[in-house]
Amino acid sequence: MVPTVLIAAVVGLALGVFLQKGRFCFVNAFRDFFAYEDSRVTKGVIAATLLTMVFWGIAYQFGYYQGFWTPQWGLTGLVGGFVFGIGMTYAGGCASGTLYRAGEGYLQFWLTLLFMGVGYAAFAVAFPTLENAYFEPLTFGEGVSLFTVTSIPAGLLALAIAGGGLLVYATLIGKSATTVPPEERSNAASVRLTVLLAPIAGLRQFWRGTFEYFRNLALAWRDPLASSKRPWDPRTAALGITGAAVLWFTQVSIIGVTGPEARWMGYLLSQAGVEAESYDYWGSVLFQGQGVDVTTDMVMIGFVIVGAFLAALWSGDFSVRVPKRRRLPNAVGGGLLMGAGSRLAPGCNIGNIYSGIAELSVHSFVAAVGIVAGVYVMTHWIYREVGCAL
Amino acid sequence: MPSIDDVTNTPDELSDDRADELLEEADLVQDMMGEMCPYPQVEAKKGLQKLESGDLLVQETDHVPCTENVPQAVGDDADAQVWRSGDATYRIYLRKR
Repeated sequence: MVPTVLIAAVVGLALGVFLQKGRFCFVNAFRDFFAYEDSRVTKGVIAATLLTMVFWGIAYQFGYYQGFWTPQWGLTGLVGGFVFGIGMTYAGGCASGTLYRAGEGYLQFWLTLLFMGVGYAAFAVAFPTLENAYFEPLTFGEGVSLFTVTSIPAGLLALAIAGGGLLVYATLIGKSATTVPPEERSNAASVRLTVLLAPIAGLRQFWRGTFEYFRNLALAWRDPLASSKRPWDPRTAALGITGAAVLWFTQVSIIGVTGPEARWMGYLLSQAGVEAESYDYWGSVLFQGQGVDVTTDMVMIGFVIVGAFLAALWSGDFSVRVPKRRRLPNAVGGGLLMGAGSRLAPGCNIGNIYSGIAELSVHSFVAAVGIVAGVYVMTHWIYREVGCAL
Repeated sequence: MPSIDDVTNTPDELSDDRADELLEEADLVQDMMGEMCPYPQVEAKKGLQKLESGDLLVQETDHVPCTENVPQAVGDDADAQVWRSGDATYRIYLRKR
C-alpha cells in the first residue's frame, strides 16, 4: 500500500508541472474565446474534461474509485458560480491558475490567495445565517452524479458523451473547412451535401491533427532536454492532467482546489489560536467533525505550487514578480469574490467545470453555467474600450 | 517530458541583437512588467489603434502567457515577434499592418 501522502505529492507535483508548462488557464479558456474567439485553450479544457470523464466513468464502472463529490443542486450553483466567474476574470487567474502562478513567483497571486482566504473566513462566519437565508431557499434537490442513476454502464455513457462532443466539434470544424461562398453554390443539393459531409471532413481533420500531434510528440523526444524547457501544447497538459486526475480518483477523490484551500484557512487560523472547529462550517462541514488538521487534499494542492515552481524554474520562467500598484484591487477584489463565490456555489472552476462535469454531477452543470456567465460579463467590462468578438 | 513548440502558436523569436535594434526604432513602448492578462492584451489593442500602418509597438512583460495571448489578441492587426531573455522577461514586438 502506497502512503496517501506520497500519492498527494505525485499528483500535486504533476498537476503543477502540467498546468504551468501548458499554461492551462480556465480564465484564458473562456475570456479569450469571448474576447476574440481564440478557442485554443478552450479546446484544451474541454479535451481534458472529456478525457477525464471517460477514464473516471470506466474506473467507476469497475469499482476502482474512492468517491464522488455531489453537493445538493439548485440556484446556489448559478449565483455562486457567477460571483466566482466575475472574481477569476478580475483577478486574472482561476483557482488552479492562482496556484501555479503563485509558484511562478507572482506576488500578486499570493495576495489573491490571501484574500481568497479572507473570503473563506468571512463565509465561515456568515455560514449559519447563509444556511437559512441562502442555501435553503435556493436548493432544489439532493446532489447526484448521472453515473450513479442511469442503467447505462458508466464507461459506455462517458464514451457516448465524449463521442457526441467529438462529433459536434467535427461538424463545426468540418463546416468551416467545407463552406463554399454562396455565389459558388450551384444549387440547394450541393448545400445539403456540404452539411452531410461536414462531420466527415471534420473528423478527418481531427484525425490528421491528432496524428500530427503525436508525430511532433515523438520528434520532441529526440531532444528531451530542450523540449522540456519550451512551452507545451495545451493537449499535452490535458493528457498529463488527466493522468494525475485518474490516479487521484482511484486513490483519494475527485480533484478540488478551493475546498482544500478553505480547509487550509481553517487550519492556519487554528494554528494562530482561533477556535476554527467551533465554527460550523469548518468543524462539521469542511472537516466533518474529524478535527481541524492537515488532510491529504490539502497536501496535494500545496504540491501544485511546488510543481509549478519547479517547472517554471526549469523553463527560465521563474522570477519574483512585483505587481503594479494599480493592479492591487484585482488581487484583493478578485480574491475575495473567488473565495466567497466558491463557497456560495459551492466549488470553483476545477471542482465544477473540470471535475464536476467529468463526474457528471448535476450541481456542477448548473455551477459551470454560472461561472462561464460570470466570465462573459466581466470580459465585456474589461474589454469595454476595445470591444469583444462575442 | 516532450514539448511541441511547433503546434503552439508562438510567434517567431528574435535574437538578442535584433531585439535591441528593433527596440530603438519602436514607435511606442509599453511597460507591462508585473501586469496580468488580459490587461496587456487590452493595452496592445489600444496602442495599435493610435499607431500608423508599419509602426512598431513593443511591450515589455514578465508574464509568460502574454507572449502567446497578446499576438493572438491583436490577430490580423499586427505581425508579432517575441524576444525571450531567458530569465523570465520578454518583449513582444507588434508591427501594425
